[in-house]
Amino acid sequence: MSRPVDRIAVVPQGPPARATDEAQRWDRETRTPFVAAHPERRQPFLTQALKWPIQPLYTPADLEAAGFDYRQDLGFPGEYPFTRGTQPNGHRSDLWTMSQVTGFGKGEDWAKRARYMLDQGLQGLILEHDLPTTNGYDSDHPLVEGEVGRAGMALDSLEDLERAFDLPFEKLRYLMSVCNAPQPVNLAMIIAALEKKGVDPRRFVLHIVNGILIEYTCVGRYIYPPVHGLRIATDCIEYLIRNHPNWAPISIISAQLQPAKANPVQEIAFSMAIAMAYLDATLARGLDIDTVAPYFHFVINVDMDFFEGICKLRAYRKVWAQLMKERYGASRPAALKIRMMTSPTTIALTLQQPLNNIGRLAIMATACALGGAGEAMTTPLHDEAHALPAEEAIRVGAALQHIVAHETGVADTIDPLAGSYYVETLTKRIESAAHAEIVKIMQMGGALAAIESGYFQRALGREQYERNKDVEEGRRKWVGVNHLVAPEQKRQIEIFRADNRMEEEQVARVRALRARRDNAAVAAALEAVRAAARSGANLVPPCLAAVKLYATHGELCDAMRDVFGVHTPDSQLTGV
Amino acid sequence: MKAVSPVSVRPLRVLLAKLGMDTHTVGITVVAHALREAGMEVIFTGLKQTPEAVASAAIQEDVDVVGISSLSAGHTRSLPRLARLLREQGSGEKLLVAGGVIPQEDLPLLHEAGFARIFTMGTDTREIVAYLREWWAQRLAAEAHKQ
Amino acid sequence: MTDVAAEVLAGKVAAGARAIRWLDDRDPRGRAVLREIFAATGRAHIVGVTGPPGAGKSTLVDLLVTEERRRGRRVGVLAVDPTSPYTGGAILGDRVRMGRHALDAGVFIRSMGTRGESGGLSRATYDACLVLDAMGYEVVIVETVGVGQEEIDIVALAHTTVIVAVPGLGDEVQAMKAGLMEAGEILVINKADREGYEQTRRHLELLLHLRGSNRPAGAWEPRLLAAVATRGEGGAELIAALDAHRAYLDASGEFARQAGRRSEQQFLALARAATLSALLEGAGAPLLQQVRARSIDPYSAAELLTAPLRAQARRS
Repeated sequence: MSRPVDRIAVVPQGPPARATDEAQRWDRETRTPFVAAHPERRQPFLTQALKWPIQPLYTPADLEAAGFDYRQDLGFPGEYPFTRGTQPNGHRSDLWTMSQVTGFGKGEDWAKRARYMLDQGLQGLILEHDLPTTNGYDSDHPLVEGEVGRAGMALDSLEDLERAFDLPFEKLRYLMSVCNAPQPVNLAMIIAALEKKGVDPRRFVLHIVNGILIEYTCVGRYIYPPVHGLRIATDCIEYLIRNHPNWAPISIISAQLQPAKANPVQEIAFSMAIAMAYLDATLARGLDIDTVAPYFHFVINVDMDFFEGICKLRAYRKVWAQLMKERYGASRPAALKIRMMTSPTTIALTLQQPLNNIGRLAIMATACALGGAGEAMTTPLHDEAHALPAEEAIRVGAALQHIVAHETGVADTIDPLAGSYYVETLTKRIESAAHAEIVKIMQMGGALAAIESGYFQRALGREQYERNKDVEEGRRKWVGVNHLVAPEQKRQIEIFRADNRMEEEQVARVRALRARRDNAAVAAALEAVRAAARSGANLVPPCLAAVKLYATHGELCDAMRDVFGVHTPDSQLTGV
Repeated sequence: MKAVSPVSVRPLRVLLAKLGMDTHTVGITVVAHALREAGMEVIFTGLKQTPEAVASAAIQEDVDVVGISSLSAGHTRSLPRLARLLREQGSGEKLLVAGGVIPQEDLPLLHEAGFARIFTMGTDTREIVAYLREWWAQRLAAEAHKQ
Repeated sequence: MTDVAAEVLAGKVAAGARAIRWLDDRDPRGRAVLREIFAATGRAHIVGVTGPPGAGKSTLVDLLVTEERRRGRRVGVLAVDPTSPYTGGAILGDRVRMGRHALDAGVFIRSMGTRGESGGLSRATYDACLVLDAMGYEVVIVETVGVGQEEIDIVALAHTTVIVAVPGLGDEVQAMKAGLMEAGEILVINKADREGYEQTRRHLELLLHLRGSNRPAGAWEPRLLAAVATRGEGGAELIAALDAHRAYLDASGEFARQAGRRSEQQFLALARAATLSALLEGAGAPLLQQVRARSIDPYSAAELLTAPLRAQARRS
């Protein structure tokens, strides 16, 4: 049904660009003598993540050497291969949606913060859950002591979400929920909570991340063995496509590969392979590519290397379009146009001199806009590295996006850097390297095989080690860390001490809930979930029925553990 | 009988583990590689470990050093418990170190519990290697002296 | 008897772990312990588990340990991983897959680096087996990476060698065929639910058939099994095959003979090393210098070095 990816044309690297006579003359007569008297400040100049050599100058000869062709490589905005943008009018008609991360504590606390953010002009919210929840445990499970409500919201039952959804839904354009391993449970709770609040699901968009394959690759919040993780994710995708077609059932958060130090080629290749794993599984349920592909949604970060970021975004659009067309035979424009949400990365931010981070965020947000920000941009907050956001930081983060959008002009013409000799050379090079890596991964059996064999994890482990060395050995200059280090070196880490009271209250709540609900009905509902797990039936409906009876998050996850078992991976230490 | 000293190179054996729910592995990966590059044997017991499991592994593996990575907040309870378990099982001589997101104000408690050194986030791995090497050199010298 | 040796015989974990450390480090105290516990060794069934990286060996070993524990047997596991030839360091991560046995007092798991040896095992692996044997572990599983003709140390070490293959690995299977396939008593195709299983199975069946054409009557017929270790499938068949092989070894007298052969090999290796180092001390050292300077050829030098020994042997 789908064609092999290696039939997509991979442009060979070719010999190094031969400068034109003029450029050679310039280098010989003008530049080289200068450099003799003024040695270069880095030896060699390399891009930050890929560590590819950066030439002093790029000229038309480089484009020629790369085989650049305007029509084939760029085309026009809103037309295949979409390198210049998926929207026919760039950001001139609609700007990207502006959003930020929220989520902590008990339901009411999240709601309070969410309301504040909406008042500040943000239109999208991201609901992060705490570690017990994302790992499939209730707040009173012995293993999770001390973790309740810290990394995000504690969601033990429908009750918690009912409290959290005390929001002005008319201001909300979209809501994103991050809870990958227990996705069907989380989805069921959201649907049930919205029903209870009488919210019309067609008036906004719910995105569930549903990104279990990246959890196996580098994030680590998984429960079941990968093959079951993929089945569960596919159940959610299928359920939403069939029942809530205006919602987004999957996000490939390739941004999560960045803390794991994936370079742009790995980001594109691994995330595309992962997307194809979900795609293939969903297509096997009888849906077709033109229906399914438009639902795929990528969250992509840029790092501080300005051009790696911009070129990566452009390459992403082209690679997706080519895969959809060549491998899957998609024909609908909506299937060929990648949907993305962009963001400055948090890994570029420093503990030291946190105000510098505002500058960094501004630069990265500009890079997103120049590369094509996609549907939405999320700003992380400038002191996110070590404490939960203060309201000031929220305001600054929101303002930053407005400044980029309205004060710089970068969004006023479409893909303004196109044609730059450097940008096009780098974009093409990233794109062909990504295709080659994709072919390699598909030949090994695809993302699932790459995960099970530890291929992804080992590749990332190597990058992590090498990049750390770059900083330690000074090859990468990082202001505040190893360059322009201020005397009061390390800022005091303010660990968020959510008071233990919060955990105690949450524990009491979930226990009280278990005591007062109809436990016989819950037991039967849990058995129905197990039956669906065994039979292969879609897990969302039985989860929905169970959450309405106030079955808890942990109970539902355990019901699935009973059938699927738990995952102990081959290479937990990335890089072994 | 004349005093004998070890004949060949004795690589330092280090057990690395993560306690609790947190699954960030970049820090522990980087440290593991740095220790291997420094000629040490790194025994990794995995994520989501309990203090009991780590103590048991530390004894079976006869490691010299136990290093715990902690990026979530449970360290004030789990780390002292680990130290106590090792002491109770007669392995109190092992060097205990920890790293991650551990605030200054918790250091005295951890030191008292038996942790010799806490490497806060962002510590240069060369510093960690140097510290362990020096500790090992002193330990070997003390042993040679005893024999 | 030293304290450590006594504690090893009593099955104390810390003592056993320390003894293995001494042996691994070539600390003379290790040898001393071995002398004292040797008489209590020779009982354990040593099972080698080898195969290419990615075969899922550790998960399979984990499954096997579970099965052995079900039968009430105490199990030792030695997980051997390569030491970096450049730095001398190693990352030993096999324990990760055996986490469920972490708190079982009847299971002892030890990770070892190859420490410069090229056969897939470390020099101290055999000695570590003896320690576990003396501690009372009835089954000692030695897990190691095996990818080619070189990694065959495990065959000599173990009573039963289990070779783990995986569908679709291509080249690595080819390499393994040359050496290991000829010697494994039990072959397991792990991840049997993968694509390419049928093909791999047919391939191995053919190999075994060819091997079998030379087999004397009554000799052990290698078993070919399938497993999906991550799902817990195949463990029962594997342990049944191991028990059957053990029974065969006992019945044929091979068990004791192998133990004797191992002892002999160890003796010869030790004697070789001890003799050589003794000879190279004193008079031998300048001879070595001359060889390095090429002022004498190696053949004459070797004769010169061993002349006193031969003279002595003639006299006695």
